[in-house]
Amino acid sequence: MKARNLYIWVGIPFGVLAILFPRVLPEFQLRMVTEITILALFAMTWKMMLNEGGMFSFGHALYFGLGAYASVLGWLHIKGLSLVSGILLGGVVAGFIGFILAAFLVRMSGTYYALLTLAFNQLIWAIVWKWRAVTGGDDGLGRFPKPDLVGISMKDPANFYYFSLVIVVVCSFLCWYFTRTPLGNVVKSIKSNEERAKFVGFNTNASKLIFLIILGFFAGVSGALYAQFQEFIGTATIDMGMSTNVLFMAFIGGVGHFWGPLLGSGIYVYLSEYLSHFTDRWQLIFGVIFVIIVLLAPQGILGIAKKRK
Amino acid sequence: METFAIQFLHGLAYGMLLFLVASGFTLVFGMMHVLNLAHVSFYMLGAYLSYQMFKMVGNFWVGLIVCPIVVAFLGILMERFLLRRVHEAGHMQELMITFGILFVLDEAVKWVWGSDYLSVPIPSALSGSVLIMGNIYPVYRLFILFFSLGILALLTILFMKTRLGITVRAMVSDRDMASALGTNIPFVFMLVMGIGSWLAGLAGVIAGPFISINPGMGHEILANCFIVTVTGGLGSLQGAVIASFLLGQLYSFGILFISRFAIVFGFLFMAVVLIIKPSGLFGEKV
Repeated sequence: MKARNLYIWVGIPFGVLAILFPRVLPEFQLRMVTEITILALFAMTWKMMLNEGGMFSFGHALYFGLGAYASVLGWLHIKGLSLVSGILLGGVVAGFIGFILAAFLVRMSGTYYALLTLAFNQLIWAIVWKWRAVTGGDDGLGRFPKPDLVGISMKDPANFYYFSLVIVVVCSFLCWYFTRTPLGNVVKSIKSNEERAKFVGFNTNASKLIFLIILGFFAGVSGALYAQFQEFIGTATIDMGMSTNVLFMAFIGGVGHFWGPLLGSGIYVYLSEYLSHFTDRWQLIFGVIFVIIVLLAPQGILGIAKKRK
Repeated sequence: METFAIQFLHGLAYGMLLFLVASGFTLVFGMMHVLNLAHVSFYMLGAYLSYQMFKMVGNFWVGLIVCPIVVAFLGILMERFLLRRVHEAGHMQELMITFGILFVLDEAVKWVWGSDYLSVPIPSALSGSVLIMGNIYPVYRLFILFFSLGILALLTILFMKTRLGITVRAMVSDRDMASALGTNIPFVFMLVMGIGSWLAGLAGVIAGPFISINPGMGHEILANCFIVTVTGGLGSLQGAVIASFLLGQLYSFGILFISRFAIVFGFLFMAVVLIIKPSGLFGEKV
C-alpha cells in the first residue's frame, strides 16, 4: 500500500510537469526531454529483459536500430505511410527479428546469452554498415518524410514531444501490464528457477520466446521514434555503443525499479549534453562517474533511496 | 597455390596475435567468472606504453619486458580496489566496473597521446624477411607466431605443472572447498588478474610494430576477442588457440574471396558454433 502511495505522490506531479514541459521549457531543453522520454522506453525494455526475464542483453541496439531502419525505409519507400503505421512497422520488424533470434536465444542463459546477443548485434550492424545500397552505410539515411498525425504537424517540437510521450506512456503501461499477466508471471518464475518452472509444466521456451518478441517490438518502437526525433539515422543507432549506452542508462537508475530507466536516461542525456559542452574529455568523466555509482550503489541510484528508508 | 600459402601464413600470424589477447581474457573469465571488458584497454595501453618506452629508451626489448609489468600492476590495482568491493554484489556489477574502466582508459589514452596513428618500428633483429616456398615473408610475423607458441607453452606449464596452477584449478572446480583447505582466494584472484593483464600488455607491445597504434585498436579487437573466447569455450586455453587459428584463417581467406563482408564471417562463425554447441568448442557444459 505504501509503495502505491509513493507512486501516486511522485507520479501525479510528475505527470502534470510532463504535460507542462513544452509551455515552460526553451526549445533545446524540450528536445532533450523528448530524447529522455524516447530513450526511457528503450532502457525500460532492457531493464525488463534483465529484471523480469533474468536475461542480460549485450546487443540490445539490435532491436532499437532495426526498428529505426525499418521505419525509415518504410517512410522513404512506401508512399503515404502514416506516422503511426511507420512506427508500428519498425516495431513489427524488430519483433519479427526478435522471433527469429529467439529461436537460438531461448536455449541460452547467463553469459552465453549475453555473448550471443552481442554476436547477433555485431552481425546485423556489419550488414547494415556494408549494405550501402539500402542503408546508406556510414552516411546513414536522412531526409525522410515526417508525416503529419491527423492534420497536426509533427515538425513542431511541442507536438512531437506530446506524441512521443503518449506512445511511450502507452508502451510502458503495456510493459507493466505484461508483468501482471499469467504469462508475465511464468517469465518471472523462469528467472528465479527455470528447472522448477519446467517441472511445474510450463513451456519455458515458448514463454521466453513471446517475452523476447514483445520486448523486441517495444524496443523497435522506441527506435522508430528516435529516428523521427533525430530526423536522421546512422550506424550509431545499431552499433555496440548504443547497446552499452542502454546498459548504462538502465543501470544507473536502478535495474530493480520501475522508474529506474527514466531516471537513468535523464541522467545520461543531461550528462552527455552538459559534459560535452564543458570538456572534450567528457567520456572520461562519464566513465569515472559510472564506476563510482557501481561502487557505491550496486543497485543503482534508486537502490540507495530504497535502502535508506 | 602460392597466394594460398602466403594467405595461410598471414592468417596464422594474425590468429596468434588474437590468441595472445584472448588468452588473458579467457583466463580471467575461467578463473574469476568476470568478463573483463577493460582487457582490451589494457592491450591498447600496452601498445601505447611501448611507444612511449621506445621514444624514451630507443629499444623495443626493454618495452617488451617493462610495459606488460606496468599493465599487470594496473590490473592488480583494479582487482584490489574496485572489483573486490563489488564482488559480493554479483558478476554483473563486476562487469559494469570493467566497462567503466574501459571508458576511462580509452579517453585517458586519447588525452595523453592524442588520436593520431602512431607506430613503433620493428626492431632491427627482426626487420628482414625470409623466403618461404618462394614467397617473401616478414620475419616479424614469424616472431609473433613463435612468441605466441612460447607463451602458450609457458601458460600450459604454469597451470598444469606448478603448485600455483594446481591451486587455481582447484579453486575453479570448487571454490568453497579450496577456501576451506586454506587457499587465500582473494590473493589468487589478484594474481590471476595480474597474469591476465600482463598477457594483455604483452599482446599490446607485440602488436605495436605489426599494426598501427590508435585509440580505436581496443574496440577493433574486442569483438574478435569475444569471438575467440566464446567459440573456444569460456576459460579454455586450448579452445582459445584453436578458435584464434580458425578465425585468423577465416579472415585471411574471407578477404581474398568476399572482401566486403569479411567482417561478418567472424560473427557468423561465432553464432554457428554457439547454436550447434552452446558451450563452445572446448567449453564445459553450460
